[in-house]
Amino acid sequence: MNRLLALIQREYWENRGALRTTPLVIGGLYLLGTLMSLATAIYFDNELFTMREALFGLSQVPEASRSNIIYNINLFGGSFLFTLVLGFVVFFYLLGALFDDRKDRSILFWKSLPASDLQTLLSKLLTAMVVAPLIFWGVYVVTQLLTGLIAAGLVAYAGENPWTLLISASSPIKAWLLVLASWLSQAIWALPIYGWLLLVSAYAPRIPLLFALLPPLAFAVLQLWLDFLRTFTLQENLFGLLGRWFANSPLILTADDRNDRVEIALGIPTNAQFDHSVTLSNMLDRLISMDMLAGLGIAAIFLAGALWLRRRATES
Amino acid sequence: MSMVVEARGLSKRYGRFQAVRDIDLSIPAGRIVGLIGPNGAGKTSALKAILGLATFDGELSVLGKNPARQRAALMEDVCFIADVAVLPRWIRVHELITLTEKLHTRFSREKCLHYLSQTKIQQDQRVKQLSKGMVVQLHLALVMAIDAKLLVLDEPTLGLDILYRKTFYTNLLNDYFDDQRTIIITTHQVEEVEHILTDLIFIQDGRIALDCSMEAVEERYCELMVRADQAEAARALHPLFERVLMGRHIFLYDRADRERLAALGELHTPSVADLFVATMSQQEGEA
Repeated sequence: MNRLLALIQREYWENRGALRTTPLVIGGLYLLGTLMSLATAIYFDNELFTMREALFGLSQVPEASRSNIIYNINLFGGSFLFTLVLGFVVFFYLLGALFDDRKDRSILFWKSLPASDLQTLLSKLLTAMVVAPLIFWGVYVVTQLLTGLIAAGLVAYAGENPWTLLISASSPIKAWLLVLASWLSQAIWALPIYGWLLLVSAYAPRIPLLFALLPPLAFAVLQLWLDFLRTFTLQENLFGLLGRWFANSPLILTADDRNDRVEIALGIPTNAQFDHSVTLSNMLDRLISMDMLAGLGIAAIFLAGALWLRRRATES
Repeated sequence: MSMVVEARGLSKRYGRFQAVRDIDLSIPAGRIVGLIGPNGAGKTSALKAILGLATFDGELSVLGKNPARQRAALMEDVCFIADVAVLPRWIRVHELITLTEKLHTRFSREKCLHYLSQTKIQQDQRVKQLSKGMVVQLHLALVMAIDAKLLVLDEPTLGLDILYRKTFYTNLLNDYFDDQRTIIITTHQVEEVEHILTDLIFIQDGRIALDCSMEAVEERYCELMVRADQAEAARALHPLFERVLMGRHIFLYDRADRERLAALGELHTPSVADLFVATMSQQEGEA
């Protein structure tokens, strides 16, 4: 266990840029954007007259709608950029995880330490599944707190009560916890992809990105073509499967305007296999589904392959 | 006494290429073994098998463990420096020390810091900022701070300048080696290690061409230097190898009658390099 933690610390040290600097930069940009729009408002809006009007307008909106607007904008608007970048960070982290030390030959040093290849693989998987989301979440919450503070200050300045107008209406803690839950659920839901990326990372002789994308692409195109020849229709194939997988993911991904309410959704509500409203039980629904079970089976095969390759990585 | 390394019929093939052919090997504790052979002779393949870095055929036991199956457990007692500069380039010196401390139960931070204090290496430097020689010093400081039973060095001084090479082996001998420890070294620079070795193993074409202790080398082999007019007489005594140096003929003998040789010219113990050349050319003659 201690060894595993030490290995995870190694991952953090090696990938500090991706795991720490990246979310800090996003958080910083977010705050900068907030401050810049505030400065713009102060510059053009004489004594914040329009702002006061708008906030007064907001205070006249019935509490239910107000809470919907703030809650959903807070939840969705605040987390979307983090979700997106977290996805990229994890993708490229996993692609490099078992490749970089083979490329620079430092694998010979890592293998001279009394840590098993299984522990190494686990440390990389856990970094992608847990460590990266937790760090991103921490920065996300701090960003939200700071922008919340700015907003509350502004509301107070405009002569409204920030507690009743913003905070009590928006249940931010619930929103933040749901964001974390959705990221951690996604880490499990995405295990087949994570497994594939680790397998490619352990295999690719060079440019893992190419090896990650080309085989599935070639496979899917071949599938499409064969299916089309056979049935003259475009049926289930890898593209369709990945699309549906993505649409059903437990990530807080999309928002639309329904019945004058902003509705946020898990994944992309293109099919009715799962309920897409953002609740913990809907996330769990996905994780205990047959789809997930099949996904875990595929992930297990990919990960076993990655482990097998890692054990033999120093052969030649 | 149990052996540190024990191999029976150890073989390794890469596709159609047979890198190691049916090697038998026994290395007891407290020895410094030089594993010497030309490029592609199978040195590194044999070492990789010993270190659990590659699969193999035959029987192999290192400190009582099967390296292919128990690499992680084996690495508690085995250290290796493979080639220069395999330390991760991104890591900082203090991170490397902390990590080694957490992963190695028998690592002593004080010892490591003591060895580092004798170098110019700074704790907050990254490995990529260090020169090649400093990286090896760092690696050696780490390894010497681990209370391991077997240390494997695969061309540890390759590409280093002469100052680092000298101190590398001096430090190793003075501060690290004792009768509980075993060191296996492969190198091209035979002259550099011959005075510290206790045992010699020559490898050629995946086979062991010679396996004996340095004392036995002194007993068995002798070199005779004669003038040209004595060359025929010396040749008649079945030398392993003959070379000519500045008009003198130099013959290398295995288990020869020293009295008869002494009558012909000057006798002395051959250097490992000369013995190596003689052994290699003899084997090629047989093959």
